[in-house]
Amino acid sequence: MAVASRKWPRLSRMQRHDLFYGVLFASPWLIGFVLWTVYPIISSLYYSFTRYDLLQPPQFIGLTNYINLTTDDDFFLVIQNTLWWVILSSPIGVASAFLMAVLLNSRIVARSAFRAIFFFPSIVPIIVVSSVWAFVLNIQYGAINATLRAFELPTIPFLSNPTVVKPTLLLIHMWMQGGAMVIFLATLQDVPRELYEAATMDGAGSWSRFWSITLPMCSPVILFNMVMAFIGGFQNFALPWLLTQGGPNRATEFFAVFLYRNAFQYLRMGKASALAWILFIVIVIFTVMLFRSSARWVYYRSE
Amino acid sequence: MSSKKLNRRDFLRYGLAAASGLALSACTGAAAPGGNAPAAGDPTAAPADASEAPPPAEGKTITYWTFWNQYANAVKVFEPALQSLVAPNKVEVKTGVQAEEVFLTAVAAGTPPDVGTGHHYIDYMSKGQAVEIDSYAALSSVLKPDNFSPAAWGGQFYRGKHYGVSGIEAFVRRGLNYNERLVTAAGLDPEKPPVTWDEMLIWHKALTVFDAAGNLTQIGYDPTDAEGGLFATADGSFIPDSWGFKWFDVKSQTFNIDTPQMAEGMETLAEFVRIIGPDNLTGMRSVEGQGSWGGSFNAEVQAMIVEGYWHPGETAQEKPDVAKLNRATWIPVPESRRGAKVQQGGGHMVLFYKGAKNGPEVAWPVAEFLNSKEHCDPVFSSVGWLPDYKPYLATVDGSAYPGLDFYLKSVTEANEWNYPLWCEIETFVGNQYNAYFEKVYRDEMTAADAAAALQADAEKEWREAGYAS
Repeated sequence: MAVASRKWPRLSRMQRHDLFYGVLFASPWLIGFVLWTVYPIISSLYYSFTRYDLLQPPQFIGLTNYINLTTDDDFFLVIQNTLWWVILSSPIGVASAFLMAVLLNSRIVARSAFRAIFFFPSIVPIIVVSSVWAFVLNIQYGAINATLRAFELPTIPFLSNPTVVKPTLLLIHMWMQGGAMVIFLATLQDVPRELYEAATMDGAGSWSRFWSITLPMCSPVILFNMVMAFIGGFQNFALPWLLTQGGPNRATEFFAVFLYRNAFQYLRMGKASALAWILFIVIVIFTVMLFRSSARWVYYRSE
Repeated sequence: MSSKKLNRRDFLRYGLAAASGLALSACTGAAAPGGNAPAAGDPTAAPADASEAPPPAEGKTITYWTFWNQYANAVKVFEPALQSLVAPNKVEVKTGVQAEEVFLTAVAAGTPPDVGTGHHYIDYMSKGQAVEIDSYAALSSVLKPDNFSPAAWGGQFYRGKHYGVSGIEAFVRRGLNYNERLVTAAGLDPEKPPVTWDEMLIWHKALTVFDAAGNLTQIGYDPTDAEGGLFATADGSFIPDSWGFKWFDVKSQTFNIDTPQMAEGMETLAEFVRIIGPDNLTGMRSVEGQGSWGGSFNAEVQAMIVEGYWHPGETAQEKPDVAKLNRATWIPVPESRRGAKVQQGGGHMVLFYKGAKNGPEVAWPVAEFLNSKEHCDPVFSSVGWLPDYKPYLATVDGSAYPGLDFYLKSVTEANEWNYPLWCEIETFVGNQYNAYFEKVYRDEMTAADAAAALQADAEKEWREAGYAS
């Protein structure tokens, strides 16, 4: 049986000329992508099968790094912490961004000013955000606890108690949802007015309009923001590292913090690479699950 | 006839060609030093062709990096003397080089400084990144065992080979410092400092102050701060020092953490935190200036601190009013060890790095200079640091900074000396210690269980990191 061979379309001289210059113009990005993205990804996969300390050549040890993690108590603590964070922070973060967008899409006084105020935290560097919150929330000298103390109320150990610290980070996370809020705001403004007008004429109240029009029309963007929130949640590093360094009592030792510690404090780059690949696989699984579930709750206008 | 006008497409094409040419020419750069081309100014390098002009009369550039920021003040003073010492070569001094992000990356990438100090001593020595200097040390008039304390001298060696040159900030590391004013205000006698942990606890209780609403306003002693909070570091381990045992046996490469002394030490220190309140302590330490090394002592919200000899001098630079109140004495020991006067040597040192542009054959004078009077005087006066170099220490005035005299005298009065053990997984063990100690003072684990768990973790990491034979 003859195998059908796929032939590339014959390009004209002009097309070849254009292709050459197209590739040439794109080459800085292509070269950068191969050097700084593809190569590190492939390298990290290889390193995950090695014992590698940065300073000596890697030694191939097969699946040992992965197997060792199965008996690592710290690894399971980190998984617990990370799942707590992802499962709560992703929906709560997206929900708060969406509700802020809905509020700021309504006709309120000084709407533009409020939009700027709510968006502002997302453009402030994380190091500044962390420093400010560290001072605001400190049990000894923080503004909130100083106020509580002034009223002779008990102080709250926001960042220094293992039970309280994760919910505290969650509150800060909600405060930083300006980026997702802007995307929701753009989507809300794209919902056709006539849908609301028709629903109003049919006697729909504000809740019905929100539930039956706003939510479905925004569901593709909710999916997008949820996916981004899940990915960001699994990679949560800057806030816990800068505010608590994984403490107190390892309550904020999330996956990325643990990975960083192994890579750059213990110089266990092979183990850290294995952790990175496990994180990647977990993120892929969560993302696929989210996309699979989207058939039930995401509405596309083209459908 | 074709148009001479430059259209957009041609402009972009020529622009790209020009940019590519520039980028390629930039990539080629100058001939790499250490390659076949003779280095400019290298007096040993002959011109390839007699007709070529001789190289300009300038020497090699020696790179000298340190991770400290405050060292920069001293550099300004000693640099002319250093430059004149190495002429016709010259030294490029960099201070404040971040130990991980910059220093470690440079070493790992094969572009290290010629000589420098960037923490990670054990990593660089044990992983083949430091140059052995036995042959240079043998010829040196500075680097002789008699010129250093046995602890500082021993700290320069790893597995019997000489790698480090002790200097810059390298004198003794153990002393209990206390604020005379706070001690007196608490009704305690500053002339009779605590000697044992039982006495220390009495002082701690008297010096830990809460306001009427029960909020912490002052700490007596924070056992997680400064040298007192260290376990498994180049500066030693505080509990093993005070309780008198070695947590790691260098010869047999075995761990000795799961011991009654370790458990007793953790439990004793945990009691200090319980009196403060674990959340209060974490909160206090997380505030800038009071979470940093020794900052709470300078802010006068901590009355006692275990620190090295640098504490009197550094405090004098940072908080002169507090420095005047500083007193120093021996670190506390358990009642069973009353009379033990414990001191720890080692400190910092510079290493020469493999793959550097210039090896010790060129950069050696820089390392020796670090123990000279020209270097040490400005470092002592502007930062408060001392080398562990006996000829220089003999010239130091112990009254220069309140409390310093104790450290100078401790060299002859100490009856127990400790030195860096150089365990290859010390960072991991130190971090795990912090985690388990927190579990103990939060009453989530007994001290005995914590010591056992720390031993088990250390042994597991030892195996997994490939050190077990």
